[in-house]
Amino acid sequence: MRVPLSWLAEYVDPGLSVDELADVMTAGGLVVEAIQYPTGAVRGVRVAEVRNIAPIEGSDMLSLVDVFDGEAEHRVVCGAGNFSVDDRVALAVPGAELPGGMRIDERRIMGHMSRGMLASGRELAISDDHRGILVLDDDAPLGADLRSWLQLDDPVYDIEVTPDRGYLLSILGVARDIAALTGAELRVPEIVPADAGCRVPVTIEDTDRCRRFEVRTIDGVAVGPSPAWLQRRLTAAGMRPVSNVVDATNAVMLEIGNPIHAYDEALLAGPELIVRTARPGERLRTLDGVDRELDAEDLLICDAKGPVALAGVMGGEHSEINDETTTIALEVANFSPRTVLRTVRRHQLVTQGSMRWERMVPPESVPLAASRCAELICQIAGGTTTGGSDHYPNPPEHRPITLRPARAAAYLGIDVGPGQQGRLLERIGCEVTHDGQHLAVTRPPYRPDLTDEVDLYEEIARIHGYERVPETLPSTGQVGGRLPEHGAQIRVREALAGAGWYEILTEPFITADDLVVLGWDDDDRRRQPIALVNPLSQEAGVLRTSLLPNLVRVARHNANRQVPAAAMFEVARAYLPPTDDDPGAAGGPEDVLLPAEPLLLGLVGYGPFDAARHDRPARMIDIFDLIGACQLLARRLGRPALVPSATDQTPFHPGRAAQLSFEGRVIGVVGELHPRIVGTLELPARTVAGELRLAPLLSGGVVHPQVTEPSPLPGLRFDVAVVTDEAIEASAVEHAVRAGAGPDVTAVTLFDVYRGDALGEGKRSLAYHIALDNAERQLSDRDEAAAIDRIERIVAEQVGGRLRR
Amino acid sequence: MKESDTQVVAGRDDVASAVSAAREAIAEATSLDALDQVRSSHLGKRSVLAAVQRTLGGLSADARRALGAAINAARAELADLEAARRVALEAERDAVVLAEEAVDVTLPARIPRRGSLHPVHETTEAIVDVLVGLGYKVLDGPEVETDWHNFTALNSPPDHPAKSLSDTIYVQPLTADARPTPDGTTGILLRPQTSPGQIRVMHEQPPPLYIVIPGQVYRADTADATHLPMFHQIEGLAIDTALSFTDLKGTVAEFARAILGPDTELRFVPDHFPFTEPSAQLLARYDGGWMELLGCGMVHPNVLRAGGYDPEAVRGFAWGLGVDRMAMLRHGVTDMRQFVDNDMRFLASFA
Repeated sequence: MRVPLSWLAEYVDPGLSVDELADVMTAGGLVVEAIQYPTGAVRGVRVAEVRNIAPIEGSDMLSLVDVFDGEAEHRVVCGAGNFSVDDRVALAVPGAELPGGMRIDERRIMGHMSRGMLASGRELAISDDHRGILVLDDDAPLGADLRSWLQLDDPVYDIEVTPDRGYLLSILGVARDIAALTGAELRVPEIVPADAGCRVPVTIEDTDRCRRFEVRTIDGVAVGPSPAWLQRRLTAAGMRPVSNVVDATNAVMLEIGNPIHAYDEALLAGPELIVRTARPGERLRTLDGVDRELDAEDLLICDAKGPVALAGVMGGEHSEINDETTTIALEVANFSPRTVLRTVRRHQLVTQGSMRWERMVPPESVPLAASRCAELICQIAGGTTTGGSDHYPNPPEHRPITLRPARAAAYLGIDVGPGQQGRLLERIGCEVTHDGQHLAVTRPPYRPDLTDEVDLYEEIARIHGYERVPETLPSTGQVGGRLPEHGAQIRVREALAGAGWYEILTEPFITADDLVVLGWDDDDRRRQPIALVNPLSQEAGVLRTSLLPNLVRVARHNANRQVPAAAMFEVARAYLPPTDDDPGAAGGPEDVLLPAEPLLLGLVGYGPFDAARHDRPARMIDIFDLIGACQLLARRLGRPALVPSATDQTPFHPGRAAQLSFEGRVIGVVGELHPRIVGTLELPARTVAGELRLAPLLSGGVVHPQVTEPSPLPGLRFDVAVVTDEAIEASAVEHAVRAGAGPDVTAVTLFDVYRGDALGEGKRSLAYHIALDNAERQLSDRDEAAAIDRIERIVAEQVGGRLRR
Repeated sequence: MKESDTQVVAGRDDVASAVSAAREAIAEATSLDALDQVRSSHLGKRSVLAAVQRTLGGLSADARRALGAAINAARAELADLEAARRVALEAERDAVVLAEEAVDVTLPARIPRRGSLHPVHETTEAIVDVLVGLGYKVLDGPEVETDWHNFTALNSPPDHPAKSLSDTIYVQPLTADARPTPDGTTGILLRPQTSPGQIRVMHEQPPPLYIVIPGQVYRADTADATHLPMFHQIEGLAIDTALSFTDLKGTVAEFARAILGPDTELRFVPDHFPFTEPSAQLLARYDGGWMELLGCGMVHPNVLRAGGYDPEAVRGFAWGLGVDRMAMLRHGVTDMRQFVDNDMRFLASFA
């Protein structure tokens, strides 16, 4: 809500500086987001009278205008034609400044010297009218500085209004709160009641949705531009001036908060206005020129022929106020928020009026708005009020709310007694009676937001002052902490970051096609993504079932930006249709089925994992960096090593992918992506990726490692080299070597892989450093010989290998 | 003069000339090899001193003692001179070798390879740490939520604007028989706030509660420099028998000072949320203006009821804080989209 200070000051003047008032408002919940001076830059513009207008030869548009500012005549060249001799206009003399930094100088135009300029409403930021110059009221004093005459240095407060406080969408409502917060006097205009009779009868068919309807007729108006002061105010408050009658309805809406509609009475068919819902097939062309098909739920104002307004939202084009209008019917009504909100949503039509209805305008504001609007129209557009009637079939009864002062004080933790609480509530207009231990509080009509006892607590605290509420820090009486799984997850992420992997963050939106590309079968659970009803874009239509689509997208994005290498990970959820083994969260009283949200670790990389240096060549990232990263996190969690095994599943290279098992269950797959998929997805060659489910590893949190105490005795260190068929996996060979090395083995480290003619076709040699340690007994050469013999035997038995001696 | 005296005098002369020759040779030795040479020729078995020493056996006891003493003195002197010279020559040699072995210490060092944590997650955990320090337990909840948990139970009116398709992202129902409503909503949505977690924890645990729920949340917002459709919140909830509005103010203020610094200027002003009453927001002085830090309030009795608690028996407060903007402030990020752009060069800033 934009509140010009000059307008506010007509209702309340607490005698504070501009900044002090902003402070009071913010502290009271009318949070001032900005203080603006939309016309503050105007300098050197004065009121002048037109003395003579002479055409300039050779120009259709321009004329030479002589104006008098009370002291001297000035001759200026002007391109507008909307004024005549004796009009008062805004003269910007040489040296003047206008909003937007425009400076006025003497200028030669078509051979004539122009000593200044006649300014338009737009040039002064008073309106957005640039069709002609601004013509001022006749009572504008000659020579007066426009700055003071039109209050151009008026500050405008931009206030954030929360949805519960609809009453703050009016100057009067803001003034009421300022009066309550500061104790300053509130000046509310007198209500001039509607005359008993009115030539426009009103029938309200739906009294739930239209709770009140006042109509006033005004005859003899002359439609034209509003006076400059009103245009300036409306513009400052964020509304576009249209014409005096329309501006009056808008100004009163801004002032009192009750939207008003003015009809050209002559264009209404028949005397009666009817408030009803739409009938099948009815249409209405609204003020914005859109021909609308009406819904049976739309509430309408109708005349004898049919709809003339979409109640509370927008009037019809046919009965719109126009330049020829002389008799008007004012509609000052009250509609239910729900009705207006639904119509707004159906027709995608948000207006200044609808915004106010949605936030509850009380029916009690109707008479004041009607009285004020009729008065303003007569003041600025001529005319006289010729009748009015107020239809208010079921005025609601406001039940008092019971306030327990002791509970209020304990709830708020501040020391305010029952009497003080009552007085604070009276300041916002409540009626308070003491009822034994309790207070009976009746809200003022303009505060429909006050319905519960706790609402009164807030008002007590607010008027007392939130900033005066002391701070106390309660003891939680418990030790804080994270769930074990959460702590473990942090450890995983820190371990990977510490080992050279970069954590990324992606939105969980993908397309179903992203999953098709990865080649999974149609019946794979990952191919059944959950669709969004209102995705932000077509590329974000479903929730991810796997981290891979986003991982490869991020890799491609980096490669396209000439980033030479990437090693990235993400710990995030996927969203899968729930199963018995993998259920979703509880669905509430309606038992809504929610997806499973497993936590996954995703990895992706390309390019060198170790960049080339002056002392070391580059080393490309490969599957062993991925498996190693997974092993690292298993180790950091105190879990046994994951067991890798070859897999040929999509989307991976059939010979360069591994599934990783934990406690006998496969928890993920990592590897080089299939060259075909690398090509399709336009990824860097040999991009590696993978993902695994974290829940089995994180479950129960970090397991504390248990030590193996080092032996105090010297151990044995020797090497063996095992020759096997190429097809035998290294893990099987190592397993056999370990078994052969016996119970004293403390390390088996592969240090060389060799292939050569000497070994024979299809053979390879794996060479290991072996360490044997025994804390109780000095190991001897005999132990070493025995171990080597055992290794030789078991290697032969288990993997068909032999030792190279 | 006795014969032995004559021999002693001759021997002494020999020693003296040998010492003088040796002194000169030691002084002139310019390398350790040359010095070794000098040592063997002037102090070794074939040296003059050794030859003189060999004559001692033929001398009288007195003469032997006299000449022996001279020889020993000479040897001691020469040994010292040789040792001193050796130290000097070794120092010279070492200086040369060390000079040859010098490296350019300004060559790039081998910094152990390190990646980084994502700044949003790191900021989340840093903030959560503060609350853990105050005794709060950390929980989480599902990101795909029900309308009931997110709106109804949190006291939102049925027509709340936030429920519209233009604000909240809805999910197609997982059950085939579910019917969408006329306004397109489905009763299942991507949570736009971490607050539904309040209801879930109340259903699972009896009071008192002091909990914090960090998490990812979603809104139907187009991405720009200050908004993302996916962002991060930290929800705090305290429910006990005698908590008050002053406890709320003290907790959020203490918490804000722990994050932003002990001298941070704060304002506590009225606000509105359907799920709290009274409601407030905490503003912090930042960069000359006031920045909205968090929204908070006393938990609305209707929310306690929806959680299965008795609002006459317990009460409490809750707050919600946006993490992404805090992460921007912390790291000088000017465009929020950087957080999901995942450019390695951006991420490398945090390594």
